[in-house]
Formats: sequence, C-alpha cells, structure tokens
Amino acid sequence: MIQVKYFGMIAEATSKEGEEVSVSGKPFSEVLSEISSKYNLGDLSYQVAVNKKLVSNPADLQLNEGDEIAFLPPFSGG
Amino acid sequence: MDRYLRQITLPQVGNAGQEKLLKSKVLVIGAGGLGCAVLPYLVAAGIGEVGIVDGDRIEESNLHRQVLYASDKVGNSKAKESAAILQQNNPTIKIQVFEEYLTQKNVAEIISGYDLIIDATDNFFVRYTINDTCVALDKPFIYGSIYQFQGQVSVFNYKGGPTYRDIFPEKDQKVPNCEEAGVMGTTVGLIGMIQANEAIKILLEIGEVLSGKLLLYDLLRNEQQVFEFSKVAAPKKPEIEPDFELLSAEEVLQSQKVLLDVREFGEEPEIKHGKHVQIPLSKLDQDWESLKSEQSILVFCQSGIRARRAAKLLFEKGFQNLSLMTGGAKDLEYLQNHEENLS
Repeated sequence: MIQVKYFGMIAEATSKEGEEVSVSGKPFSEVLSEISSKYNLGDLSYQVAVNKKLVSNPADLQLNEGDEIAFLPPFSGG
Repeated sequence: MDRYLRQITLPQVGNAGQEKLLKSKVLVIGAGGLGCAVLPYLVAAGIGEVGIVDGDRIEESNLHRQVLYASDKVGNSKAKESAAILQQNNPTIKIQVFEEYLTQKNVAEIISGYDLIIDATDNFFVRYTINDTCVALDKPFIYGSIYQFQGQVSVFNYKGGPTYRDIFPEKDQKVPNCEEAGVMGTTVGLIGMIQANEAIKILLEIGEVLSGKLLLYDLLRNEQQVFEFSKVAAPKKPEIEPDFELLSAEEVLQSQKVLLDVREFGEEPEIKHGKHVQIPLSKLDQDWESLKSEQSILVFCQSGIRARRAAKLLFEKGFQNLSLMTGGAKDLEYLQNHEENLS
C-alpha cells in the first residue's frame, strides 16, 4: 500500500484529502493514470511528488510499499 | 535611531544587517490580499526602497482581506492608497508607486530597478511573465499563492536555483474554470507573512531560503509540508505570449468593441445587449469562423482565465485586435448593471 495525498482543487475533484492505494508492483505511471481516470483529473493541471520530492519523469520511477505520493496543483489566489 | 533597535538587537541582524535592509530595493507585485500582508512588514523593517505594482482599484469585497484599506477608500487606486498608508508608517524609506498592471511591455523596465521581487498577484498567467523576466534579468523572486485554506510559498531563481517553470512548465495547462474559489483574510495574511519573512532572510543572508523547495501550508490542519524540486534537465524556452490589451469595464462601455463571451451557455450573470456574441471556449475551435479577424474584439469570461485562452486561440487564427477585461467577475457585474449603455 502507498499513501496518496490530494491538495487544492485536486482534493476537490477527488472529494478526499488522501487515501491508501494498493500498487502491488504496478509501474508508477500506471498508478498515476489509474488515479487520474478514477477521478477524472485529465482536465486539471498538477505535479506529483513521491516522498516529498517532485517527479519530473514518472516513467523512471518504481514505487515501494509505504511510499507517499502527493498531487500538487498550481494555486492562483492572492 | 531607535526605530529598528529591537531587530538590530538580534544577533542575526545587528547594525550590519540593518544596513543591508536599508540598502535593499524590493518590488511587490500586487497590493491585494498577499500584498497587504507583505508590504507593512517590509516597510516597517526598513527596506530602503519598496516598489508597489497594481493597476486595480479597491472594492468593497476586497476589504475583508486587504486590510490596509479603509472603507471610505473604495474606488481608489490600491497602489497609491497602500503607498500613502505605508509612507505614514515609515516616512524614512522610499516608496515607488506603479499604478498599472504588469504586462509583457512594462515588466522588464519595472523589475530591473529592484534586487528582489515578490509575486503577490492572483494571476496564474502574470506569474509566468514575472518568472521569465526574473530569469532573464537574474533576479530572485518569492512566490506565494493560495487556494481556499491552503497556501504555497517558494523562492525561485535564487542564486541560479530552479524556477516556477521547473514545477509547472506549461502556461497553457488546462485550468479548471473561472469560478472564484473563495478566501479568508487570515490565509492570505499568513502566506504573505511567510513571503515577507523569506524576503528578510534573503536580504540578510540568514537561515535557509525556500529555494528548490515548495512549502505547502494547510491552515485548516495546521500542517506544513515542504516538497523538494530541482531544475528540469532541459528547461523549455520561455514562449512568447501575445500581449493583449487590458481594459476596465468602464473602458469597455466606452469602446465600440464586439464583446465575445466565452462562458458556457447559462452562466450568470447573463449579458444580452450590445454587440455581444457568445461562443463557449469549448466550441471556439470549431465556431471561430463566425467572427471576423478585422473586428476589434473584447474577450471575457468569469474571471479571465478562459478569456485569455480564447484570445490566444484567436490570435493563432490571425486575429490581431484582441483585448481582455482586467477584473473578471466584478467587471461582468459592472457591465450587467450598465447594460443599457452598451453600444
């Protein structure tokens, strides 16, 4: 299992601030696209962090049990 | 003088630190919610020269969070009004007023006179203009922004460090829509205060700067998280953004422009009169040919985000005479209230 956290309007789209997701050896990019299609995030912009580090190329990354991923959208209020 | 005595007492400041502050020039872009938190503390701390950029005017709906402004100042320029109050707070420093919006045209000239830039805007697109200009002119800038009860702060382009484009490279991402998300004064207050604190640290060269780090502060949970990021290997070349003319609602009423509403059908408030055409952004790519490229067109939506994307799309189709409204939803209300004056 991994911990997933949602921020800003992503949390609004998923109607939750976070959840546990089972990854069982799936590639990171597959986990991301599953979450994206589950909550229809395709129209939103965001960056993803794994264990508090932003990931520029998800294809390079393999998730491990206990990892924490975060969906970070740009904010524009001020 | 005694004014700065208590901060000079700090071992990290001292007389040498105060001298640094007094010799510093800081530009604050935006005198709204974030700006009203950033500015008083920079001015009080004795930053030698503070620039304030804002073309907006004070509205009643700003007062709950833009705490520099008194009720009887509604309608006045934010840049001028904040400068007047701040100059009273500290008459010993210099305050420069730029009563204008930041655009591709004026950005380099305004920014070039300052050591440190603070992005206190509420505009996703202007952020890229600030970012790219700061990179070109080698200035660090302190970013702050909020979404409801959450805020983000980071310091970009600090000593060659990563920039906003290393987190969010594309300006033309799909942005959800133009609805205003709502905001509490305390949220912008706290996030602005963190920006001011980073500014003072950078100028004094003390502590750890949020460079290569994005602070995310969730104020409902009192949780702060810091996400690290680095320069993306091949940074995208900053794209050239067409510079659209920005008009206030009053100027729109006096103009003879075609008003192009790119909101979805049924969005409120409804504008019916005048030279008004409605083509939702989602349909514009197919239906733009009903417009004529020689027409002078003002594009609007609810807050301006879809309008800018629509204007860019039309620009790519060869339209030259395109303009946008400055204030989004409040301009719409103004237009609706003065519909009878639309030509």
